[in-house]
Amino acid sequence: MLGEQLLGNLIQGLVLGCVYGAATMGLSLIFGVLRVVNVGHGAFIMVGAFTALLLFNVFGINPILAVPVALLIGLGLGFAVYYLVMQRLVQAPELASLLATFGVGLLLEETVKQVFGSEFRGYYWSVGQLDLGVTVLPMTKLYACVGSVLVAVLLYIWHRKTRAGRALRSVVEDAEGARVCGVNVNWVYAMSFAIGIGLTVLGGVLLTMFIPVGINPYMGGVYTLKAFVIAVLGGLASPYGAFFGGLVFGIIENGSYTLLATIEGVEPFALTRALSFIMLLVILLIRPTGLFKTK
Amino acid sequence: MMRINPVRKWLGVISLVAGMVLAWHVPARAALDKVVIGHSACLSGKYAKAGEQAFGGIQAAVNWVNESHGGVSIGGKKMPLEYKYYDAESKKESVTSLLERLITTDKVNALLAPYSSGLTLAGASVAEKYGIVYLDQGGASDKIFTQGFEYVVQTIGPGSKYHTGTLDLIKAIDPKATKVALAYEDSEFARSVMDGAKEHAQKLGFDIVFQRTYPTGVTDLTPLLSALKATKPDIVLGGGHFEDGQLFNRQMADLDIDAKALSLIAAATLPAFYEALGPLADGVMGPSHWEYGVTFSPVRANQAGLPWIGPSQDEFVSLFKAALGKDIVPDYHAAEAGAAVLALVMGIENADSVDSDKVRKALGDLTFMSFYGSWDVDETGKQIGHPMVNVQWQNGKRVIVAPAAAKTGDIQYPMPTFAEKTVKE
Amino acid sequence: MSPSRTRLVRYYALLPVLGAYLVLFLIGNGQPDMWQLVAMLAFYCALGQAFNLFLGMTGYVDFGYVAFAGVGTYGMAISISHLSAVEGIGGWAIVIGLLLGTTMATLLSLAVGAVALRLRGAYFAIATIGVNEGLRYFVEGARIWNGSDGIIFSRDLRLIFGREAATALSTFWADVLVLLIAALAGVVTLLFMRSKIGYALTALRADEDAAKVMGVNVTKYKIMAFITSAVFAGLLGATAWALKLTYVYPPDVFEIHYTVEAIVIVMLGGVGTLLGPLVGGLVYGLSKYWLAVTLPGFQLLIFAPLLLVIVVLFPEGLVGVLKKKIGNRPLGKFIV
Repeated sequence: MLGEQLLGNLIQGLVLGCVYGAATMGLSLIFGVLRVVNVGHGAFIMVGAFTALLLFNVFGINPILAVPVALLIGLGLGFAVYYLVMQRLVQAPELASLLATFGVGLLLEETVKQVFGSEFRGYYWSVGQLDLGVTVLPMTKLYACVGSVLVAVLLYIWHRKTRAGRALRSVVEDAEGARVCGVNVNWVYAMSFAIGIGLTVLGGVLLTMFIPVGINPYMGGVYTLKAFVIAVLGGLASPYGAFFGGLVFGIIENGSYTLLATIEGVEPFALTRALSFIMLLVILLIRPTGLFKTK
Repeated sequence: MMRINPVRKWLGVISLVAGMVLAWHVPARAALDKVVIGHSACLSGKYAKAGEQAFGGIQAAVNWVNESHGGVSIGGKKMPLEYKYYDAESKKESVTSLLERLITTDKVNALLAPYSSGLTLAGASVAEKYGIVYLDQGGASDKIFTQGFEYVVQTIGPGSKYHTGTLDLIKAIDPKATKVALAYEDSEFARSVMDGAKEHAQKLGFDIVFQRTYPTGVTDLTPLLSALKATKPDIVLGGGHFEDGQLFNRQMADLDIDAKALSLIAAATLPAFYEALGPLADGVMGPSHWEYGVTFSPVRANQAGLPWIGPSQDEFVSLFKAALGKDIVPDYHAAEAGAAVLALVMGIENADSVDSDKVRKALGDLTFMSFYGSWDVDETGKQIGHPMVNVQWQNGKRVIVAPAAAKTGDIQYPMPTFAEKTVKE
Repeated sequence: MSPSRTRLVRYYALLPVLGAYLVLFLIGNGQPDMWQLVAMLAFYCALGQAFNLFLGMTGYVDFGYVAFAGVGTYGMAISISHLSAVEGIGGWAIVIGLLLGTTMATLLSLAVGAVALRLRGAYFAIATIGVNEGLRYFVEGARIWNGSDGIIFSRDLRLIFGREAATALSTFWADVLVLLIAALAGVVTLLFMRSKIGYALTALRADEDAAKVMGVNVTKYKIMAFITSAVFAGLLGATAWALKLTYVYPPDVFEIHYTVEAIVIVMLGGVGTLLGPLVGGLVYGLSKYWLAVTLPGFQLLIFAPLLLVIVVLFPEGLVGVLKKKIGNRPLGKFIV
């Protein structure tokens, strides 16, 4: 019984972890290139969630198709934010960019609240289930998982094989050197920021395929905190490290529940949360560059 | 980077400060010519949704008092009721300063507490210091009333009673149902519901097969629900707030967990619930302080021997929509906040004065009925007269299934399975 | 100038700080409708000054800072709720509460420091976030200190002090304590700045590796600043949150938003300056209040872009800008 439950939880955790990972890749990308911690991360996930919500409820568009739309919206937002705000702060102390991303996140939340209200919404999209014996997996979650993996793979290909990706890697390695070699560093920064935001917004859509309810302007905060843990797990500067970090995080968050539930007199769920943060501290102590050897 | 003329920068700062200083003081009021009720509302921040509802309900009630009731009668004269509010942003630091401003600068005659037990407690000391009636319209913690505050008067019902009616209902129609699963949010309010439910369930002879909580802001209930599924409960009671309520229902469907009854607090009775979940929400129940469709009316009040005050249900709804300027339906947060205002007006009129001690005493003695239901507080200010209703979604409509005196339809028991519900597509 | 006079001059900068707090107290006490507002401003100033002790001196952003205030709150709450049964305990309950809160904050800061202070930059920031969130869920999960039920102790406060005094405590004396804490934090900031700690940490801020190579015991001074900053947070929690509001729920005190506010306040005023947090706290608190009164519901929509504008245009903060203008003139002695 316990073993069955554990296995079921682990499978669910794996599936969820893929989505978490995909949603966090943007954060790591932005940090890796610009050394900026996007504290407003959750707000962009919220934008993705609203995109999926509105496209489905208003236009009847399937969330899978919402993904490219979200990416485009994210790219647009990312470029806008970079050129209006972040560009001036690239050389500024960390604190300034931290506050700036916070301010942007806050602005997004408040604007969405003014336009759409603070109601909690969701959408109902049902396409069947997969009964795995130890647990039941709705197809929407499976789609989300597959989509996340696809996004991660595409990012990998872009990062490693394209010219833009190469330019990015050169800037990460040595910005001055890259500039001397003729790379437009500012353009690389802008592009990385935009793609990072694009990935985050897209991650929001994937997340709603997993959790299609509870969508509201302030939903992002929880995800920002999780994203930090995941990003560190995977190596703060590595975008696809974040994907694997997400997997580990999902598995531990869900899997540990069954084990913690065997302890008397505690609330296992809250403890799984505490566990994930303790995990964070341990990783930072032992291996700050993350669990995975990806660059 | 563009350099702004430093002189202009400083001129901007100085004019901003000057503007703030000028907005400060409000001219003092002469003799009593109106009754002012003050509110440190939660119009933004984490309680924004409930706060907005409360705001609409209060404004609707105030408008009714002024337009239909003619104002508040004191000493033979009718005086207008004014509503003054500031946004506490759901933060405890702002509550005390805003409440004091309402008391000392705006010279309010009574206060409405901000939403949530915590914030209600945060402001209670200020109300006590100035000896002003402090209307609790959003704090359901029983503990507020064991602290010895003298001016707090509650309109919302205490947490411990939320699910007791549900258990009574199930026991009556299905004595063979024995296994109850409790899964609530780990927050002070939801825990008080859980403790009340557990005690009552055990008294009724139910068997608690599962009892767990989940943290606030949970994004995935799968592990908890998987464990719940294994215990094969007949009845599932739980919830916490809006988003986790929606998640709960949705993930029960995802994991194919069928129970004979599911009752979720806070979330299930709101229209947004069905909008988010679609047919998956059919059959799901929730306890509520008030639901559109309850049959409280002057006739009922007469039958119960209680005085009646306030708008009819439909009047309230239209006043509410007008107050917010939006076409949204009021939920129980709006209703109870509105009822708090009505209680205050009755208290003032019965005491024939705005003196806080007299009004507080009048409120203690008061019992009445309004569109919200009956109202009566005990000597600590805790609400004891207001019964909860149980609402169930049936084919996209909310039906009041209990108590018998208020119901608009019969309960659908057992609840349809998720397989049945999704086939409907 | 005689040596003793030169030494005294270094502390002139205390005058505007202490003077400002005195003025705040007088305004609040004098005007009937200003005290709670002054209390709120005092809270923000104290938060800023305490936070600046570490951030200003080392440049490290402790994102989990609010955890120290959280445990301080619990210290006071535990003290009062448990000691109310003791006959005639009176004011000692508060003293013990302050001591307990401070001790808990110190212990926590030692634990956190041992782990986090080895890290730098973003890693440090994220590690400390982890501390705050982890502690909150641990308190709820392991059901320590009543878990999510929290501690409500208005009744206990009344039992100890009687109704009148208890109300006065929550609505006046707690705030006086907050003012004192803010002033004390300011004094300590200046003492740090003008002593070995200050020089060591200035070197650290400029270039940590170089400082280490030069033989500066960077770690020791980092820890001192960290613990001191944490202690003040604990004191603040014990007074402004526990004593004043008489309740504590974990999600209300382990709330990351306060750390963000502390950062905003310190940045507004000027990181690492003495007057900065004071000015920042006043500006922040006053604008919040004014917006709440005149534009309820819309504040954050105005506030967010304003914040962005300030961060981009005034990265060195208001006091920083002032210092640049006046620094070299005689008045500059007072603006630190």
